[in-house]
Amino acid sequence: MDAAPCQYTIRVNGHLGATILSAFPAMESRRQGTHTVLTGRLDRSALYGMLADLEALGLELVEVRRRGE
Amino acid sequence: MTIISAPAGSGKSSLLRAWAERAAGTRRLAVVPVRRDQRDGQQFWLALLSAVQHAAGRTELPAGTPDFHGRTMVERVLAELTDVDGDVVLVIDDLHELNCPEALAELTTLLTELPPHVHAVLATRHDLRLHLHRLRLAGELTEIRAADLRFTEREARELLDAAGITLSDATVALLHQRTEGWAAGLRLAALSIAASPDPERFVAEFSGSHRTVAEYLVAEMLERQSDEVQQLLLRTSILDQVNGELADLLTGRTGVERILLELEDANAFVVSLDAERTWFRYHHLLADLLRLELRRRWPEETPQLHRHAAGWFLGHGQVIEAVRHTQAAGDWADAAQLLADHAFSLTLDGKAQTVEALLRNFPRSADHPELALVHAWVDVVQGRLDETAAHLTLADDYARTAPPERLPRLRVAIASLKVSLARRQGNLTCVRDLTEALAAPLTGPTEDDIALGNDLRAAALMNLGIVEAWSLGVPDGERHLKEGALLARAIGRPYLEVSCLAQIGFAAKFRSFATVRSYCEEAIALAERHGWGAEPMISPALIALASTMIWTGEFDEGERWLQRAEVAVQLDSGPDIGTLLHVVAGMLHAGRGHHPEALAEFGAARELQSRLGTHTLTALVAGWAIGTQVRLGMLDAARAALAALPEGQTATGEVRNAHALIALADGEPRAALESVASVLDHTATVVGDMTVIEAHLLSAVAHGALGDQRAANRSVEFALALAEPDRLVLPFAIVGAAALLDALPRHETAHAALLTDIIDVTRGGSPATHEPSDPAPAEELSPSELRVLRFLPTNLSRPEIASELSVSVNTVNTHVRNIYAKLQARDRSSAIRRARELRLLSAGLPRSAAVTRSR
Repeated sequence: MDAAPCQYTIRVNGHLGATILSAFPAMESRRQGTHTVLTGRLDRSALYGMLADLEALGLELVEVRRRGE
Repeated sequence: MTIISAPAGSGKSSLLRAWAERAAGTRRLAVVPVRRDQRDGQQFWLALLSAVQHAAGRTELPAGTPDFHGRTMVERVLAELTDVDGDVVLVIDDLHELNCPEALAELTTLLTELPPHVHAVLATRHDLRLHLHRLRLAGELTEIRAADLRFTEREARELLDAAGITLSDATVALLHQRTEGWAAGLRLAALSIAASPDPERFVAEFSGSHRTVAEYLVAEMLERQSDEVQQLLLRTSILDQVNGELADLLTGRTGVERILLELEDANAFVVSLDAERTWFRYHHLLADLLRLELRRRWPEETPQLHRHAAGWFLGHGQVIEAVRHTQAAGDWADAAQLLADHAFSLTLDGKAQTVEALLRNFPRSADHPELALVHAWVDVVQGRLDETAAHLTLADDYARTAPPERLPRLRVAIASLKVSLARRQGNLTCVRDLTEALAAPLTGPTEDDIALGNDLRAAALMNLGIVEAWSLGVPDGERHLKEGALLARAIGRPYLEVSCLAQIGFAAKFRSFATVRSYCEEAIALAERHGWGAEPMISPALIALASTMIWTGEFDEGERWLQRAEVAVQLDSGPDIGTLLHVVAGMLHAGRGHHPEALAEFGAARELQSRLGTHTLTALVAGWAIGTQVRLGMLDAARAALAALPEGQTATGEVRNAHALIALADGEPRAALESVASVLDHTATVVGDMTVIEAHLLSAVAHGALGDQRAANRSVEFALALAEPDRLVLPFAIVGAAALLDALPRHETAHAALLTDIIDVTRGGSPATHEPSDPAPAEELSPSELRVLRFLPTNLSRPEIASELSVSVNTVNTHVRNIYAKLQARDRSSAIRRARELRLLSAGLPRSAAVTRSR
């Protein structure tokens, strides 16, 4: 993985409401079926930090995908 | 060992609580909840140790220290656990919050070495790198994972029944499906359903929503609460732990504690943390969601809440929490000031890693200049000396433009840090700055200020004293260390007190061994009382004590203490301690005639010393190393080493003696006598009397080689006279004085007893057992009896003793009879042995008196 910021899409199960979304101000969100997809530019530290936050909030991770620079 | 690894809200803590209740009667429980984002390994271990001690029925609180060593702590915990009677369960909850890799590694060590009667239970949100393969393979590890904790449909129904909720089977199935058996989901749902007018409809709507379970249900639950409760939950969510006072403060009401108790009773994710139910915390997941909701609803108010909380914590002496909340409020300048003021005291408390974590929270733009000093403290405690120096320079720059009221403490802090750095790096010009800074009176607007100032002052005195004793060799060292110890005792800083006392033994340096011994014993006793008996801080005392024993020829005992010191001196102890350790080890080898090993030790000492610049022991190490080379027959090397010495060292007594040794080996006794002349007339600087003793012995050898036996004997007598007060045996052992002493006519010496001791030691024995194995005699010996006693070890006959003492033979016989009776001895040799055990033959303080000296 590259340490420099990249575009990531992170897919979680369930629709995220305003409260939880306020924890991820740097990410855009859209609903897709029963999932929510968060998109944004993250470097490695930010990515792992975000995954830790998702874990803390009891969210179910479906997919993490990197989309180039 | 049991590990519960499952996501947030799976019911781990509830499970632990249920087990704990059931085990309460039969097993001892040590419960360690890991605090949120715990980066401070020491704090984690102190909590664990404290829990284990509590389980063992003890109430002492272990104290943190600035130099923390995980391995020592693990040993300590293991020792405590081994001592406990009966089965123990060690419970560690929220282990994923431990963000300190070293602590985790140390924990692995602990877990793999647990005694058989201890069972460990760990709860964590995600798998950890604990390397427990061995346990897994041996079948000693039980894992409980999310799938195991998931509620089945039947269990879900039981939960609802227990909450007094009746739903149709289909609805229960729906609920179970929606929550996927997730414990938190079911419990939250139960709360809302219980308060809902139409439970079936609630479940239907809930199932129809795609919102994440937690968010949906928390929002629902919150909405159903009264305004009062909502305010409470949201506003106090900023705290890790809440009590009545804080709840009142943040909600602006009174008596809010009542609500917390009700919530706990209703099993609504509020748990009390103590038996008296004064402190509470929310379930982590709930708290996180509440916090987010709070920020979303009232963004302008949140910083204010943090400020209120910070104020309360500061008022209650909880500085770390105060700084955290001030940072959370975004008041970076205030936070920096607060942290800078208290950082030193916090590092003394052993919270350096916590301070470091707080430092990292500051954004780069908020780089308050006083933080440079905080960085420097954290750096020096963790051995990052170059960074310390860099930060000190920044702090120095700031001090030039700092407001006047900050200046006095700033000066002491900076000067103290410089000296602390100098201890490891050898630049000692800063010592004068520190002395001046300390001369300024202690002021401060508040008691708090004065307390912080005193902390600094005591540590500064310690640093100053150490440098003065070690590097400059000035007597001020002892005085400053004593002052530091007294102040540390007065302000309740045992760590500093022990550190100062541990160094005084060395600083008092060869004055009187009885004095050195009692200083060392006092320091060691105090350290042991705090559980610091194996910590690096006590090693100077251990080494100094070992050296006194080695000097009096008690090699075995001295070796034991030296070994203990070696354990306490970890790899990152300063070169000053390392040097002393090698020097004393070298002396031990030399005394036993193991010259190659001695040379190796002196070489190691010299290498370490070179990092320090000037050092009181420099000349001694040089002189002894050369002397050892001579004894090993390495004459050319010895000569070369002597020639390579800088001028300042060649005139010292220790090096003059080495010079004489070379001369004697070259067969030039007259040159040897010239060499030691300056030592004998006291014009050469010496580290202590032993150098002069050695010089006398070398003179004796030289005189003997020149055929002047009387002069030789005279020299030996001088040596004995100097050695008598402290019973110094080592110089005789090293110089190989056996021949000299044998030549000495018995009845011409006034030091018969010492002589016999020396001969014993040089023949491979030891002069006295250290601990009295039998109790003291019922009756004390009279002075005249003591006088006769001193002659017993010699081979003088009774008439000869009588003539020495100018009494009749009958008197001597009577005295001897009484001596045998009082010492319960049958004959001369057993009388001598008893007398040695009771240290009646020693001219210094008897050991028992030194130990019972009142403080």
